[in-house]
Amino acid sequence: MAVRKYLLTFTPENVSEPITYRLVKEFDLMVNILRAEVDESGGRLMIVLEGSGMQIERAVRYLEASHVQVQELKEYIRKDEARCTHCGACISICPVRAFVMDGKTFKVSFLNEKCIACGMCVDACPPGAIRLRAQV
Amino acid sequence: MKRTYEEINQKIKKGDAVVMTAEEAIELVQREGVAKATKEVDVVTTGTFGAMCSSGAFINFGHSEPPIKMTKVWLNDVPAYTGIAAVDAYIGATELREDGNMEYGGAHVIEDLIARRPVRLRAISYGTDCYPRKEIDTYISLMTVNQAYMFNPRNAYQNYGVATNSSERTLFTYMGKLLPKFGNATYSSAGQLSPLLKDPHLRTIGIGTRIFLGGAQGYVAWEGTQYRTTTPERNGVPIGASRTLAVIGDLREMSTEFVRALTYHKYGTTLGVGIGVPIPILDEDLMRSAAVRDEEIFAPVLDYAVASRDRLPIHEVSYAELRSGSIEISGKRVRTSSLSSYAKARQIAETLKDWIQKGEFLLTEKVASLPEERSMRRLDMRSREEVS
Ligand code: SF4
Ligand code: SF4
Repeated sequence: MAVRKYLLTFTPENVSEPITYRLVKEFDLMVNILRAEVDESGGRLMIVLEGSGMQIERAVRYLEASHVQVQELKEYIRKDEARCTHCGACISICPVRAFVMDGKTFKVSFLNEKCIACGMCVDACPPGAIRLRAQV
Repeated sequence: MKRTYEEINQKIKKGDAVVMTAEEAIELVQREGVAKATKEVDVVTTGTFGAMCSSGAFINFGHSEPPIKMTKVWLNDVPAYTGIAAVDAYIGATELREDGNMEYGGAHVIEDLIARRPVRLRAISYGTDCYPRKEIDTYISLMTVNQAYMFNPRNAYQNYGVATNSSERTLFTYMGKLLPKFGNATYSSAGQLSPLLKDPHLRTIGIGTRIFLGGAQGYVAWEGTQYRTTTPERNGVPIGASRTLAVIGDLREMSTEFVRALTYHKYGTTLGVGIGVPIPILDEDLMRSAAVRDEEIFAPVLDYAVASRDRLPIHEVSYAELRSGSIEISGKRVRTSSLSSYAKARQIAETLKDWIQKGEFLLTEKVASLPEERSMRRLDMRSREEVS
């Protein structure tokens, strides 16, 4: 089983395609929508796909064939270790607890796989240790 | 059992002083009791690292040819105060660039200087007979200036309130990002490691006390601004903002590890400063207060949606609860975030301990005490008659 995070960008022409329905129905994937935005320039959908590697690859090929721009999000934000003071300001901000403080060392680590790319933490870090990697 | 500064310093010089961080002292007192711990320990070290807005540095640039009496000065485009002698200036941590950019301010200039990065100096003047030059645009660094010393009018707050937000929108405050509807709570004291909580009535801390400041050896210069002694106490420790220190130290000896520029989004810039104070264990009372634990130190929870100086505490919590990751506010579990770094506070207490054990840091007896009684005054609209 593989779990992957993607940012899909739609043009005004393909924004009304029932993409999620197909992903579930034809490719038998578990789909979790993290964020969705639609405006005059098209739309952006951030999703997590869960299924076998093969299934996901086929789904991505289908999306690309439908002229949906597919970008895999391996790392949405990055924590600069040299800049981080381990204050913990980010901890209560993150809705999915991607930042954790070690109870012994009181150091804060970032668990990338938990991040749902909401962007809430970026302006909450006083020394500016949290940086955006991908623009959404 | 009593001990003097002299005895402690003799031991330090010989290399056999027993020094413990506040955390270690807490364990020892719990294990062996106050009397025994007092006999064993000579010095307890403390530490804190957090945002300290009331910070800044004095710099003397040296004279140019022809010389200039600087009337306006900018360092990397951040204005510095220059209403002092011709080539002296004070750069304050919270001063922002005039273009409204909140990402870079005086705190960043100070960090750049300590990091030995070049800083652009621009100055203008009206020109005088002895100082004819009217403008200058050049670069300085910590190597080129005569003096550069930190002077912080208010640091090392003795305790502080916990911030939360009852309103419907996110607030951006000096206590960080506060999510709507009690979405989180932030606090900013190192609690059981924090210097002024370990000698709460400042028996050993006063003018002239040698301290750890920003990675260097610095000194307590004066009472800090907004110093007050009237905050109610529990377990001998004020429950809320109380005493503060004005501190001084040489920028050249400091390290960016313990002086860090911070930006509070939509609020402004400030300086993260690391401070550590050694507490000489002169008697049992000092050992007892040095061993006060997070469970015994309390802080009021304040609602920052009320934009008034008269916010009433909605709750009171201990640092042990705060550090557990969540507190309860009106029946709701609210996640907590620290704004000061406990990891760095610990590192500071350890470093200070190390310096003392190596004989590089001797204790000083205070030259004068800080006020024993001081209340906070308020700024109200008053007529000339009312204030005279
Ligand atoms: S808020 Fe920034 S500096 Fe503080 S722990 Fe989180 S990442 Fe580190
Ligand atoms: S972007 Fe959102 S989910 Fe990811 S770490 Fe930051 S706050 Fe958490």
